[in-house]
Amino acid sequence: MPQTEPVLSVRNLQVSFRLRGEVLHAIRDVSLDLYEGETLAIVGESGSGKSVLTKTFMGLLDSNGWIDGGEILYQGQDLARFRTEKEWLKIRGRQIAMVLQDPMTSLNPLKSIGSQIEEAVRLHQGLRGRPAHDRAVECLADVGIQEPERRYRQYPHEFSGGMRQRVVIAIALACNPRILICDEPTTALDVTIQAQILRLIRSLVKKYHLTTVYITHDLGVVANVADRVAVMYAGDIVEIGTCREIFFDPRHPYTWALLCSLPQLGIKGEALYSIHGTPPSLFGEIHGDAFAPRNDHALRADFKERPPMFTISPTHSARTWLLDPRAPEIRKPEILERLKGEGLTHV
Amino acid sequence: MFRYLLKRMLTSLLTLAIILTVVFILVRQMPIEGYFDNFDKLDDAVIQASLNRMGLRDPILVQLKDFFVRLFHGDLGTSARYSVGVPITSIIARKAPLSLQMGLISMAVSLILGLPLGAAMARSRSGFWDKFGTAFIVFVTAVPAAVYYIYIQSFGSSILGVSMLFSQNDWRTWILPILSMAMGNTAYYAMWLRRYMVDEMSKDYVRLATAKGVKSQEITMRHVFRNSFVPMIQYIPTSLLYTVSGSIYIESLYSIPGMGGLLVDVITRQDNPMVQALVMIYSCIGIVGMILGDLLMVVMDPRISLSRKESGR
Repeated sequence: MPQTEPVLSVRNLQVSFRLRGEVLHAIRDVSLDLYEGETLAIVGESGSGKSVLTKTFMGLLDSNGWIDGGEILYQGQDLARFRTEKEWLKIRGRQIAMVLQDPMTSLNPLKSIGSQIEEAVRLHQGLRGRPAHDRAVECLADVGIQEPERRYRQYPHEFSGGMRQRVVIAIALACNPRILICDEPTTALDVTIQAQILRLIRSLVKKYHLTTVYITHDLGVVANVADRVAVMYAGDIVEIGTCREIFFDPRHPYTWALLCSLPQLGIKGEALYSIHGTPPSLFGEIHGDAFAPRNDHALRADFKERPPMFTISPTHSARTWLLDPRAPEIRKPEILERLKGEGLTHV
Repeated sequence: MFRYLLKRMLTSLLTLAIILTVVFILVRQMPIEGYFDNFDKLDDAVIQASLNRMGLRDPILVQLKDFFVRLFHGDLGTSARYSVGVPITSIIARKAPLSLQMGLISMAVSLILGLPLGAAMARSRSGFWDKFGTAFIVFVTAVPAAVYYIYIQSFGSSILGVSMLFSQNDWRTWILPILSMAMGNTAYYAMWLRRYMVDEMSKDYVRLATAKGVKSQEITMRHVFRNSFVPMIQYIPTSLLYTVSGSIYIESLYSIPGMGGLLVDVITRQDNPMVQALVMIYSCIGIVGMILGDLLMVVMDPRISLSRKESGR
């Protein structure tokens, strides 16, 4: 994939928030390329900055947050320099669309389903009146909603959670975007519905040749949908690679720890693995590798200096001193050898 | 829908009947001295004759029956003390229109001022409009109305160069009383609209609308304002209808010949038929206002349905 040009390229991005008079560094020097047509999953625990990162692509940071440095290159423009709403309106929906986590709250309860889709159609496809209506009905049918003409006139409270998420996806598609960001699209749904929604997104992505960013903390979802995976920790991407590389050849101790805590790897009757300690506070400066205090394999260097990105293969790199030639050889935990496809490909 | 309305009407009538019965009995518990201006100087025969004329000597249940029978024939009776012998309907017909007019205009003014103020406050959170609006709201709620009414009257009339007293044919004398009347509601509407809008703005659907590329101005108007106005709309018919009753203080301040203070007046003078008629009118206003408010909510909020019980909010 790296041989093609990236659609969107993040360079050394830093994002901060002001919270109760203190400055929180939510994104610390992240670089990331997004390639045409791929599905990239960003995984990490709550607060690792995965949502914040994607919000910067659309100018959706809360008012107490700002971009400290770095660039977000998209079609020759630096989105990080956008300040006015007018600039963002060219990107939002039209270029990059988003599916939010909770379908129960992401639709306006007082507007009909149809009018909310039509709003996007009118804005981004330049249609008015009857054609706009027809296009909105098509969008509903597209996301697998039966009797779209009747459903068009209904209101969100007449839809179930899974149906509402389909509507939210229909709205995103009605914008006709190039990039689709799915911010934990299945977290708020029943397990059975999750699989349906994932399948739906996957088929639509294929149909419309969308470039997709998936934010999730569910590694099962990742294995299901992603071409590439970026692992985030404390506002930084610690490892990035193809889905296979991350699951079968992980290099960063944090990725090891994440994979070890997969329930599929648990042994019946024994407690599941969990990462001890808590993520570092993002107020103030972090020295060295942010994961070092929780890392059983931490080297002395990890506490002193931030490791660089080591390249393992053209598609795979990780930010850990373990990859330095001077580092002692530490192998990934034995239990991860059992990750051989089984139990991964289904959700 | 129809069944619901029918049910509401029936319970409303029942409520009204209870209110009227209670008030009817209560006013008849008052000492009979109150029916006369110079009780001490009158001799007993005159007093008894008077009470007879007012129908107060009959057993109370008989009086009550007579009252309801007359009411069903659309007869509110005549004033007994306020202006003796004049039909109550004509007294009210003389006084109500002016109060209603002023009330409606002041209501419109407070909506026209209050809603944009509230919206501006929500949009400029902790900016100029928010601070200005908060100061205004605190002022109106904290300072007793009587105080700023007097200031509006004395300073306003000298600034506008108009008489302090109301005269129906001079439109400039309408300005100050209407402004005074609108003050409280303006603050009230602004405060609630701001509150509801701030609530709505933090909701996910606003984020999604932003993400799909809707201008923030349009989100405020088409999504946030509308959704925030719905919980307020329920109370608008009631307050609209209550403008009929006028404002005691403002009407006496500018000596406006309206309904304001009429109820208090007839209670202190023990004009039983007037008290009963006014209580009935005000109760009807309250009841009809609530029904209208609920219907408006149904029209505005698709989640509320009258026909099915389980789909309440």
